Amino acid sequence: MAAAVEVIAAPWNLGLRPPAPGREPGTWRAPRALLSAGLEARLRPARVVELARPPYEFDAQPATRVRNGVTIREHALRLGEAVQAALAASRFAVVLGGDCSILLGCLLGARRDGRCGLVHLDGHSDFRHPGNYDAGSSLGSAAGMDLALATGRGELLLTHWPVVGRPLVADEDVIQIGDREDAGMPPVTRFTAQQIQRIGIADLGGRIITHLERRGLDRAWLHLDLDVLDERVLPAVDSPGRPGLDFSQLAELVSTLVGTGRVVGLDVAIYDPERDPDGVYAAPIVDCLASALTPLATVEAHA
Amino acid sequence: MKTLLADGPSDLYATEMEQFGRLAGHWVTQITYYPTDGSPARSVSGEWEFGYALEGRAVLDVWQWPGRQELPDTGRAPDQECGLCVRIWDPRLRLWRFTFHGTARGDLVHMYARQIDDEIVMERAAGSDLVRWAFADITADTFHWRNERSTDGGHTWRLDQEVNARRLR
Repeated sequence: MAAAVEVIAAPWNLGLRPPAPGREPGTWRAPRALLSAGLEARLRPARVVELARPPYEFDAQPATRVRNGVTIREHALRLGEAVQAALAASRFAVVLGGDCSILLGCLLGARRDGRCGLVHLDGHSDFRHPGNYDAGSSLGSAAGMDLALATGRGELLLTHWPVVGRPLVADEDVIQIGDREDAGMPPVTRFTAQQIQRIGIADLGGRIITHLERRGLDRAWLHLDLDVLDERVLPAVDSPGRPGLDFSQLAELVSTLVGTGRVVGLDVAIYDPERDPDGVYAAPIVDCLASALTPLATVEAHA
Repeated sequence: MKTLLADGPSDLYATEMEQFGRLAGHWVTQITYYPTDGSPARSVSGEWEFGYALEGRAVLDVWQWPGRQELPDTGRAPDQECGLCVRIWDPRLRLWRFTFHGTARGDLVHMYARQIDDEIVMERAAGSDLVRWAFADITADTFHWRNERSTDGGHTWRLDQEVNARRLR
């Protein structure tokens, strides 16, 4: 297991559509909101790296049908370098987004040192790509495409990467957890929100670990889209829904996975402080993450 | 305009510049179009010149058809192409930015490119389609270029046009 946590703040909203004409999505505010709500104090990271906020463009960029596609590539490369540096320092990377398009940079950084699986916790499959929707009708949102892009489906701009090439992760090395959808499913191992309700968190954790072992995956990245939580416990996200996990279930699952020593880092996406004007939900998110990652913080304190 | 063209690549990004820079020179081409309406393929001759530019930070080319030997005495007709391609390596994107500026129909095309295995692949999203231009089978004296379109997100590709090129100098 990594010896300490390194927090990387990725304050972006590039992968989301505007919530209203001329208005940017508010997820870029999440890293600061979570750190201010106590996450930094609770995790005691060895270092906090704060990446720049990328500019959000409302209009299409040249030669891409992905909103902010060019900017996402540029900043994914920067995020990848930050993640790679954290892992090279034997730290557990905690990337605070941001929207789900941060996954590309996270995987890019993790893949620089070899094969890396993906545990994709998300209330949606995020598997839109030009082969399963009409990209000509409207600009695509990368936050709804991140799993497709990570598995190599979509434009060259966001699927071919330096050193790693394509894909960032093979279908067989992905586990999708918590979606509530019935159509357009990715060809990956999958546990839906409804299945999780039936089998419980302990069983789910065991099955995920078994899959990682069977695939020979000593390293995996954990993508944590907070809309995997039930909208009754966290409505302050772009596309809330139900059923979903509660905070204690999410903490238990993340703790179980991190405790295997196979998870090299995680990203936290889609919390939108502008949908939480009273700051009600930052505290339980911090509690959940701090609880799940306590062993890492403890190691740091006694190192 | 003496500063437009350059004798060789800049020391900046020399490895990347070589990807397109190795095409520097003058090529004769055979261009073949495969109409989507099922009508027979048609071919025309052409010429393609590549060279370094902008202190070796860019690779330009001039795409022409027909070739000089088939040009009418009256010169190139208005609808016959003599276009300019500009390729600049973008270190922030780790990709080539590409634009084609056509003079026959006013075409302006943006694409992104990078070397993938043995090919240099250029791509743009066009409506719901993906369009790919790829340089392949590159040797010192020959190369093959193809223009393909995918309507299913890159799962399958239809060949719309291809070029066989032979180096003149």
